[in-house]
Order: sequence, then C-alpha cells, then structure tokens
Amino acid sequence: MNHMNALDLRSTSWRITPIIGAALVFVVALFALLGSVIVPGDAFEQSLLKALSGPEPLAPLGYDHLGRSVYHRLVDALWLSPIIAVAAVITAAGAGLVLGTLAAAMGGWIERLLVIVADALLALPGLLLVLIVLAMVPGTALGFWAGLSLVLWVEFFRLTRATSREVIASPAVQASRLLGFGPVYLFRVHIWPEIAPMMLTAAAFGTATAIMAIAALGFVHVGMRAPTPELGLMMVELLPYWREAPLALLSPVIATFTLLLGLTLLAGSRIS
Amino acid sequence: MSLLQAEDITIMDGKTTLLKPLSLRLDPGVPLVILGETGSGKSLMAQAIMGTLPATLTAKGRVAIGKQILNAGAPDQFRGLWGRQIGVLPQEPWLSLDPLMRARNQVAETHTLVRGLHRQQADRQARDDLAALGLAGAENKYPHTLSGGMAQRVAIAAARAGGARIVIADEPTKGLDAPRRDDVAKLLMNEMGDSGGLLVITHDLALAQRLGSQMIVLRRGEVVEQGDTHQIFASPRATYTQEFLEADPERWSPKEPRSPTAPAVVTAHDLTVARANKTLFSGVSFSIAQGHVFGVTGPSGCGKSSLGDALLGLITPRAGQVLRRAGEAPHSFQKLYQDPVSAFPRKRSLGQTLDDTVAFSGCAHGKIDALLEQLDLDPALLKRRPDAVSGGELQRLSLLRVLLRTPSFICADEPTSRLDPITQKRVIALLTQTTQDDGVALMLISHDTALIRNTADTVLALDAQSHENATPDVPRQSVAIPTL
Repeated sequence: MNHMNALDLRSTSWRITPIIGAALVFVVALFALLGSVIVPGDAFEQSLLKALSGPEPLAPLGYDHLGRSVYHRLVDALWLSPIIAVAAVITAAGAGLVLGTLAAAMGGWIERLLVIVADALLALPGLLLVLIVLAMVPGTALGFWAGLSLVLWVEFFRLTRATSREVIASPAVQASRLLGFGPVYLFRVHIWPEIAPMMLTAAAFGTATAIMAIAALGFVHVGMRAPTPELGLMMVELLPYWREAPLALLSPVIATFTLLLGLTLLAGSRIS
Repeated sequence: MSLLQAEDITIMDGKTTLLKPLSLRLDPGVPLVILGETGSGKSLMAQAIMGTLPATLTAKGRVAIGKQILNAGAPDQFRGLWGRQIGVLPQEPWLSLDPLMRARNQVAETHTLVRGLHRQQADRQARDDLAALGLAGAENKYPHTLSGGMAQRVAIAAARAGGARIVIADEPTKGLDAPRRDDVAKLLMNEMGDSGGLLVITHDLALAQRLGSQMIVLRRGEVVEQGDTHQIFASPRATYTQEFLEADPERWSPKEPRSPTAPAVVTAHDLTVARANKTLFSGVSFSIAQGHVFGVTGPSGCGKSSLGDALLGLITPRAGQVLRRAGEAPHSFQKLYQDPVSAFPRKRSLGQTLDDTVAFSGCAHGKIDALLEQLDLDPALLKRRPDAVSGGELQRLSLLRVLLRTPSFICADEPTSRLDPITQKRVIALLTQTTQDDGVALMLISHDTALIRNTADTVLALDAQSHENATPDVPRQSVAIPTL
C-alpha cells in the first residue's frame, strides 16, 4: 500500500510543480509590470532624511541608505535582469539550434570544429567568460547580453546536436529521404518535434542561470554600476545596514529567490 | 502441485472487456503456450499474471504462485516475486539491455544482485551462460554492436540468471531465424527442466510446436481452443485455429514459376559489401526484373539488409556496381522497414504524413483513397499516430506511402517478421500482388526460408556469416538459384 501512495504523490506533484513555478514567475512579472502603476514613484529620487527608514504609503518597502524607495528600485531591477536574460537566451537558443542541427546533419570537419569550440567554451568558467566580454564590450547591458549568449549557446548546441544525430540516423528520416523530402521538411517534421520540449526546459534553466549571473557579478561590484537598480547590486549595497533596515535588504533577496525558484520549477517539471 | 494457478483472470479497460475469464495452470516440467494473433489479449494476460498491467487497465481474478494466493486486482503484491519466482524474457532485447554495459556484466549483475553470488563467481557464471548460448567471444561487446539475435540471447541469459522457477516469455522468437528460434526453444526447455514452469506467449507456430505440451489459442480476448499441442496441430477443432495453422509459410501454396521476360530494373555486378571493415559477402551478381519478386534469405547477420541498402544506394559497396535502369527517376527506389513504427515521423498523424508525400510528389490526392481501398485499409486510421496502429496495418500504410511515389523498385526488409502468421500472409499477399500489378521490382528479404521459397521468383541464399567465429575478410560464395 505504501508505495502505491508514493506513486500517487509523484504523479500529482508532476502536474502541480509547473503550475507552482508558473505562478511564482507570474507574481514577479506582475510586480515588475504593474508595480509603478499601483504606487507611482521614481527609483532614483533621493531624500537623505528618509535614509533607511521603514515602509510608508509612497514607498511600501521603505528606503535604502541613500534615501531611495526600495520598492521602485526593485521594480526597475526586475525589468532589467529578466530582459537581458531573455534576450541572451533567445540569441543562444537560436544559435545553438542552428549550429547543433548543422553539426548533426553535416558531420565531418564542420561538426568537429563546432564541438571543439563548444567544448573549449565549456571548459572556461561561465562567469569569467562574461567578465571578459564585459571588459571588451562598451555598455554593461550589451556586454551582459553578449557574454551570456556566448556562455548559454553551448547547452542548446549540445542538446540539439545529440537529439538531431539520433533522429537523423533513424529509419524514419531515411524513409523520408528516400521519398525525396528536403532538409527543411526533415527539420520541421522529424527534428523539431523532438527538440522543442527540451528547448523550453533549457530556456527556463538558461534564463535562471543568466539572472543569477547578473546578480552574482553585481554583488561583487563588477557587473551593473551604481546607481542602476540591479538585484545583486541592491543586495550588496544594503548588506551593511541589515540591522537598521532588514526589509530593504530582504526585498531583493526574496524577489530573486522567488523568480529563480519559479523558473527552475518550470524547467525541472518538463524533464520527467 | 502446480507452480502457478490462475483462476478467472479478467481484464477490463473501463467498461470494455479485453480478456474474458480465463483460467490456467502451470505444472513443473510442462510448458504452456498461449497462441494468438496481435490484439488477442495474450500479452495482457501475461501482464495480469505478473502484476505489470498498465495502470489504466483493471484485472480481476486470483493467482496462486506456490503457496501464495494473490489478487490480480492488486498488482503491487507481485513485486517481491519478480526475478526470484517469476522471470520475464523481454520482447524487445535491444530496449531491455543497458546500452552502456558490456554483455557479460549485464548477466553477472543479476547473478550478484538477485542470486547473491560473489563477484568473481558471478562473472565466471555469466561467461559460462553466454558461452552456452553460443556467445563466446561476444562477452565484452556492447548491445549496439550485437545483432538482434545475439542481443536476444544476452537478454535471455540475464533473465535466467535470477533463478526464477517460473519463466514467462513474451514473443521470445520475434524476428529470429529458424536455427536461432530452435535454439531459443531448446534453451527455454533446458532452463525449465523437470521442476521449472514455462509460459510462452507467441504467434510463432514452429515455436509452439517445438515446445509441445499444453496450448491455449486466444482470439479477441476469448479462448478458442485449449488442450494438447500436438493434438491441436494434428486436428484443430475450431475454424479459427485451422486458419491460423494454414497461415504458416511452410503451408503456403508455392508460387507458380515465371521466367524474367521484362527488362531488369536494377542489376548488381560482382557486389562486395562490408560493414565496420568486415566483409559480409562478396562477388554477388544478379538482376531484378520489372514485376518480379527477388527473395533474399539467410541467417541473421549475414548481410541481407546491407545488400538491400547497397541496392538502394544507402551504403557504398566495397567493390562491384549497382546499375539502375536508364532513365530512372531519382526517387523511384523505395524501402519497407522491419519496424514500420520507426519509419514514420513519431509525432505526426499518418494522414498528415501521407498528405505531405502527395503534395511533394505531385500526384493526385485521390490516389490515397484508391490505394486505401486497394490495400483494404480503413480511412479512419489516418487520424492516428504511427504508434496507435497495429503492425499489419502500419506495414500496409508504409506500402501505401511508397506507392505514392510510383516506385520501380521496392526493397522490403523483413516486412512481416514482427507480425502474426495470419497478418503476415495477408501483408505478403498484398505486397507481392500490388508490386506485380504495378510492375515494380520487389526485393523481399526474410530469414524465413519457407516464406521466401513460396513467394519469390528467384531466391538468393546468403551464407552464415563469419561474425560468429570472428574471422573477417573471408570471401564467400553466394549462389542465385532460380526456384524450379
């Protein structure tokens, strides 16, 4: 009887996990979209007299050490990171998909070359790679986009190549080829339906990784520069004042955690 | 005392009855064969006895194994018996073996984990098991380098290793050639001995005959005939059983000989084909005429499929030439696969796939309807996906798909080796009739010599291959013998 229950639980949680994940992401997105409509205000406006003071109607999450509304800074920060992350994931997924399919379909030296490049990038720590690109590209947001795209495409490339290779070697593709169908048809009908669900998973994970990377670099002062509101930067700025303004520090922490948890649950549930 | 006794096993899918109440008993040393065509409910019955029915189906009835009495409706009770009391031989050996494990380790694993042998002892035992099955020299191979028959034998060795007294084998000879099939029968009998129980689910008449003893014939979830195997074979009472026995390729009426008068569609000159640096055959020459059936037979691993692939241009022969008739359209050479499910796009409805082919080849859409009628297929099937259609229907749909391309040559690679005899007879008849009517040259590959003998105009028998004794590069003499 016991393992019957376990089985039941597993099958229900399989359906509930993505709903929880989507709900968490939805809550954060709603906050970012409607936050400044519900309580109008400015993320950069300072009033030093109110520094580190608690919540009030115009600043529901209190003020930071420079007297700026934490609520409005958080709304801005929750725009910035996800937009960079999503842009990087779209670029990376596109590049990975095209190059992965190409490698699997062509084989030979094209495949070998692409695999070597991907493996070489994989051997470098992702954050280091982002840092190098940040140093070369003018503009921090653009640098993050370029650096993160460069790190993230490898995952999409490997997934696509591994799956396409298997599909291309299958009798189904051989039969379609004998019937005379071209590469576009083979991709649309045989390869894409197999890759699509994995791509969504990888995209959700990739977005989480990117947001985390932006926050991590902000936290060690090498990412976004002040006064730009950014999750990691907000955390490190408010860290010294955790005793005086715990809510101000906790707000970006909770927001980041909720967003990452939501994305991970969304991604993880699709695997099984 | 009987080893296993099942009483009034009933299987329901919601309100539909898939298996009407069935009782059976398994005695030590007396094999029981359940014979039936695809969809007769014979595999479901075995699953109910083992407690492995899909969760959507419900079973009723009692199963007594040794002293234990279990309820077929509560499948979780059966778990503890797997491997120790009941052993299962899987249907698809490739899927049941671990792709990352060498053959020997797969068997040794059961010896250590289920039988509790010491590692070295298990290893030695596994080596002996494999050698006893003629797999000496292949112990260190990975499943993907084994032929279907070899993989099957490894799976058998692994299933036997647990020491289960009752062995349930679901289609253990699917896709095996005659000598291998006899080996499997011998092996199952040996393993059973005088004290073990053996339940075999099959549509293979030769296997049923070899195992002898008791037999149950199932059709659409109902027992048609039950009794002594030899008696049933000698004088079947039910008309369905008669029909089933008549469908054995051995009993088919031989084909009337025809001499090739039409021009040759494809000609092979002195063909030598190698795979992975191992010569499969060399110096094979023949030509296939329009509307003729060219049969290729031989034991597993002899290069039958590779010969077909070479003719289709899918692999390059090591030496020799394949010449197509002058003026052939580029896509007039087509292939039918052993497993039709894997030859269709998995996530697309069959209708869509056929529509794509029509749109692409530019023939009239009405051709699908005409062919559906000709091949006796229900148009409603087109709404389904490939895995939701029976093997026989799907193979006919494969034929339909390649006919849309108006081919001049079709290579049918074991097109019916997974089908039950009744369906096989039907598919082969349709295949040979259609190709003959349309003037298509047909290359029919099968390990079943009787099937080839009774259908082909010309027979090419390839020799047993060197992969067993692992001596590559031995040139082999192959002869084309015109029948009669």
